[in-house]
Amino acid sequence: MFYVILESTRSALISIFAHGLRSFLTTLGIVIGVASVIAVVSLTQGMSAFIGESFSSLGSNSLTIQSYTPIAEQMRGVRARLTPEDLELIERRGEGIASITPILYANRTSQVRYAAQTTFSQIMGTTYAYRDVSQSYVELGRFIAESDNLTRRRVTVIGEKVREDLGLPENPVNEYVELGGEWFKVIGLLETKGDIMGFSQDDIVLVPYSTMQSLQGNQARTDIQIQLSLSEEAEVENVTRQLSAMLRNAHDLGPDEDDDFVINTAEQLMATFDTIINMVTLVIGGIVSISLLVGGIGIMNIMLVSVTERTREIGICKAIGAKRHHILAQFLIEAMLLSLLGGLIGLALGFGLGTAISSSIESFPPASIPMWAIALALGFSGFVGVLFGILPAAKAANLDPIDALRYE
Amino acid sequence: MSPVHGSSASENPGADTALIRMQEISKHYEMGSQIVRALDGINVEIGLGDWVSFIGSSGSGKSTFLNILGCLDRPSGGEYFLNGVYVEELGPNQLAEIRNREIGFIFQSFNLLPRATALGNVMQPLVYRRISYRQRREMAMEALRRVRLDDRMDHLPNQLSGGQRQRVAIARALVTEPSILLADEPTGNLDSRTSAEIMQLFDQLHREGQTLILVTHEEDVAGLGDRVIELLDGKIIRDRRAGEPLH
Repeated sequence: MFYVILESTRSALISIFAHGLRSFLTTLGIVIGVASVIAVVSLTQGMSAFIGESFSSLGSNSLTIQSYTPIAEQMRGVRARLTPEDLELIERRGEGIASITPILYANRTSQVRYAAQTTFSQIMGTTYAYRDVSQSYVELGRFIAESDNLTRRRVTVIGEKVREDLGLPENPVNEYVELGGEWFKVIGLLETKGDIMGFSQDDIVLVPYSTMQSLQGNQARTDIQIQLSLSEEAEVENVTRQLSAMLRNAHDLGPDEDDDFVINTAEQLMATFDTIINMVTLVIGGIVSISLLVGGIGIMNIMLVSVTERTREIGICKAIGAKRHHILAQFLIEAMLLSLLGGLIGLALGFGLGTAISSSIESFPPASIPMWAIALALGFSGFVGVLFGILPAAKAANLDPIDALRYE
Repeated sequence: MSPVHGSSASENPGADTALIRMQEISKHYEMGSQIVRALDGINVEIGLGDWVSFIGSSGSGKSTFLNILGCLDRPSGGEYFLNGVYVEELGPNQLAEIRNREIGFIFQSFNLLPRATALGNVMQPLVYRRISYRQRREMAMEALRRVRLDDRMDHLPNQLSGGQRQRVAIARALVTEPSILLADEPTGNLDSRTSAEIMQLFDQLHREGQTLILVTHEEDVAGLGDRVIELLDGKIIRDRRAGEPLH
């Protein structure tokens, strides 16, 4: 068996290289198919790897708690809330929490003004703990302090994008910006964090939590968000379960009522992105692999022509003692090698293409090909070769030696 | 009809059994509603070391006979023993093996593989015998030496003259050390001088003890062997010693 494969490979290679141009054109379909699959996979996988890195920089052991109202409930005017009391409760009784901070989003306007420039940003009321929870550190000036919170000072820490949009000087500290009709003194500029999926993480304006509360008219029932980071030894699942039980109890939820809040972890968020990206990879990869099928048909077509063209040769081989399986193996291996060579060229081309695209688009993550994609591409192209080589090879093997010898 | 002509011990001492024995071989084709009797009751025996020429005009059943003799085709009726093997019971793969082992084909149009060198062509039948590349190469070189073509081993068929191509074909036939060399109009595509060279080569091989069977329509080619068998309309009409007058 091995001997037959070896000899067939030898003669197949001779035949492929004897018709160099034709072999190349034959396998072009496979080349293009594999190249596009690899380009797509390398781009999306590169993106996925990049997102993984961004999220780990986001603080992978942080949790976000938000109120959650199903749409049907919202229609009836019901609104679930997370209140400062919930925050207090968690602060007092929660275990495994390193730092915790409330976040209160501006509910009227998120307009920011500096001199004649206005922009819209994400204005959040929070405390000094936000720095550790979200790993946001200041580059210039200082972060919000506890005393700012206690005295409801009108100070703000801004992100780089806001500074740029407003045309603030390189060092914006001690400048004044207008938020919701009040003047705030800039006390700090945050370090740049970059984008995640096109969303700038530097488009952010932080003010002290109490200041934000007072701006909103000290409503008793504000809806806040709680962000917390876990201590080293704490398990995400345990803390989540404990917090969930605590909040259900505080909100008087019966055993068959659903949670009126959601607890998100950075990992969950990352997993969601990963799922989306994998779906995209699969769908595009699936569509593109149809071109592999088309490439396979191209190979079958040329192999059939080649069998007809070489009928006399097949007759000669049969006359001098070739058995059915010798001829079958020769053509089958030729088709498979043709397809595999195309796959290899396509692999190189696809990787080049992916790298070229990712480096030509700014802010696009570098391409990366996982091993499974290489194995799959080569395996699939070899399979296509065998699948579409069977018919021509069987045709060749079943030729009658006398007819084949007589063929002109 | 001529009776079976046994192998004569006087010509080939030591050849006591017939290499080829055919009894009442017939081959019928259906052409529409008609049945064509390409061969109709052939009885022949050929001994080891014989040089036998089959002669006949086109349509005499020569080609059909050659195909059956060369195990490329099976007869419709009759019995065919080749080197003691009852050929008719064999399947296509076993026939392929018999062709590889027992028969060396030499064709009128040479039938070399166009993309393989002379050496590659001669090596080809050994591929089907699971012989290693190095050994194949050595055996093929030896065979090419026998036909005095060892200086043209790396040439492709289209770089060789007709006579050289036919010698490559003969080397390919010899390399497997077959019991029979089966030549179909071997000089049909060659000029007279080259034909003479090829026939001289056959003569030499015959003297070395090789069994030769020639199928031809040329009387002077046929006359070089020991024995001439004339075919007409699928029957043997005459079986004579070479050199005997025709009438």
